[in-house]
Amino acid sequence: MSKLFNEDVVEEITRKGDRWQQSTGHGGKANDREFRTLSGISVEPVYTPEHTADMDYLRDLGFPGEPPFVRGVHPTMYRERAWTMRQLAGYGPPEETNKRYKLLLSEGATGINGIFDYPTLRGYDSTDPLARADCGRGGVAIDTLEDMRILFDGIPLEKVSSSLVTCQPICNITVQSMYFANARNRGVPLDKLTGTSQNDFLMETCMATAPGVLPPKASFKLSCDAIEYCTKHAPRWNPISFAGYNYRESGCTADQEVAFVIANAIACSEEMVRRGLDVDDFAPRLSFFMNGQSDFFEEIAKYRAARRVWYRVMKERFKAKNPRSLAFRFHVQTAGVALTAQQPLNNIARSAYHALSAALGGAQSVHIDGYDEALCIPTELSSITALRCNQILQLETRVTNTVDPLGGSYFVEALTSKLEEKILMLLEEMDGLGGIVKATETGWIHGKIADAAYEYQNDIETGKMPVVGVNCYRMDDEVLPIELFEVPETAKVQEKRLKRIKKERSDSEVRRALDAISRCCDEDGNLMEVIVESVQSLVTEGEITEVLKDKYGVWNPPLF
Amino acid sequence: MKKAIRVVIARLGMDAHWRGSVVVARAIRDAGMEVIYLGNQMPEAIVETAIQEDVNVIGLSTLSGNHLELAPEVVRLLREKGIRDILVILGGTIPPDDIPKLKAAGIAEVFGTGSSLEKIVRFVSGSD
Repeated sequence: MSKLFNEDVVEEITRKGDRWQQSTGHGGKANDREFRTLSGISVEPVYTPEHTADMDYLRDLGFPGEPPFVRGVHPTMYRERAWTMRQLAGYGPPEETNKRYKLLLSEGATGINGIFDYPTLRGYDSTDPLARADCGRGGVAIDTLEDMRILFDGIPLEKVSSSLVTCQPICNITVQSMYFANARNRGVPLDKLTGTSQNDFLMETCMATAPGVLPPKASFKLSCDAIEYCTKHAPRWNPISFAGYNYRESGCTADQEVAFVIANAIACSEEMVRRGLDVDDFAPRLSFFMNGQSDFFEEIAKYRAARRVWYRVMKERFKAKNPRSLAFRFHVQTAGVALTAQQPLNNIARSAYHALSAALGGAQSVHIDGYDEALCIPTELSSITALRCNQILQLETRVTNTVDPLGGSYFVEALTSKLEEKILMLLEEMDGLGGIVKATETGWIHGKIADAAYEYQNDIETGKMPVVGVNCYRMDDEVLPIELFEVPETAKVQEKRLKRIKKERSDSEVRRALDAISRCCDEDGNLMEVIVESVQSLVTEGEITEVLKDKYGVWNPPLF
Repeated sequence: MKKAIRVVIARLGMDAHWRGSVVVARAIRDAGMEVIYLGNQMPEAIVETAIQEDVNVIGLSTLSGNHLELAPEVVRLLREKGIRDILVILGGTIPPDDIPKLKAAGIAEVFGTGSSLEKIVRFVSGSD
């Protein structure tokens, strides 16, 4: 027992607190304004030991690097290992993005965070008729292993950790395979590679839809194939990054964001165990990608609650023993949805608050958005400014001096417990629905998110949620002070390269590669095992997708 | 009784962001209009559906940056078929410099980031 306060003390504080509340007119409750978090949790005027009376220090908080990891996943956190500054980058053909990677690395970024263009993320080639207007947009275009070679040319794969934002499993199964095949061709063994792939089936079937996506079960299978493959061959690679960030961007509340990533991780873990793996073989490499939204304290509490829930899930459901299996490790990106097109320089301040909450919440890596993202792809100036913002936070503010500096705050602890409670309720509800894959098939997840998104917008609409520059403090005739990013010519570059490759590669090798993939689908084997080999034939991503869609069919996500 | 206004909502090309399009579709439906939600489509398919469904308005959404290529194409295909009474509007991440170009190409109105639902609904229902 390590209760923080004895009962008599709590009773006296509660009594005096009631008196205080009455004397202050309920701490401001008398007027019409509602005091709620962004996710709708009611907030008291002041927090005291009364609100944390049930808390048991060792059971509920513990020490950093020790169960239940609420105070942080590493013993000394940023004192020894500051968060990685991982700025997202990607646009145009691979030679252009290669230049941006090198620029960011030379300016002090400590890892690569590579995003792929819309067609690549959905499994289409740059030359596909559906891709003609989106090639090179939102990320870099990758069609074959040759593009992957160019993308990482001159970047030491054994030294730099690469996050591949291969959102959809249909993209990841091929693009991650290309990254691995390219490493092998450069003589870097897979067990030396460090990095992360996104590889989240909810991204494919719910968050970021596309024309013709795989059905949830099939997308989930591809995601699990990559986890299994990495567990066996690339043990330092995080084969999945549950994309709570995007769930939140689509409309989720803070508690839904955490509940959905953890429900997804539960489903993957159950599948890995079913495939015969030990939980402590794969769970240490399950990683999470979270959203830094505008409710400062709720976000800090969210990260802390996520660590507590994850610890209990892994411990109680899966009987994990390795401390790394029990620790919720996550990357944070500042909320794109909170950025405004109006008065875009204001976004620098917004994103800085988002990032500060990530640091106070114990993030392992942080990306800060460019201030112009509500208008266009970040320019070089906005990318560098975002990186500098991250560096200022890490080097100048001294928030890294001590671990979990808000631990013990009556408010933050009470909010952490409240979020935990809400997350557990959602997890129980999803268990009742048969798990997250089922809840996706039925459209339950889509409905939840769309409802929350609609409510959020209506709160802006009515002015209940003030957004500076949008529903208050607008400036008429505003002149936008920014240069806009122009995507370099991509479709022609990719088309030309693909044409040459298709002429030069061996048709029979390509046929053999596609046959092997097709056979693997029929035999329900691990597709990554086969595709890592297949991509050497310079088969295209789109050709692989065709086989997968032919075998698994396509699905129309129930969004509306 | 006056026939309800019919609106088709589509995301252009491969754009992945559905939040704006679904929120706008709900607002339009809640205002008593009929909404056909198409998901991702290319201009040819959008125009085809719009004609089949006899809609009054086509609402396009994109945040990927493909708007200058695909949105004017929707208008052009309609004009080629001699259709002038279907209003085409666009929402999403649209750089301000592009708005005059889109309007010149026949897009009736552009609703960028931060546009109010009320304004969109008013425009679509024709009372603006």
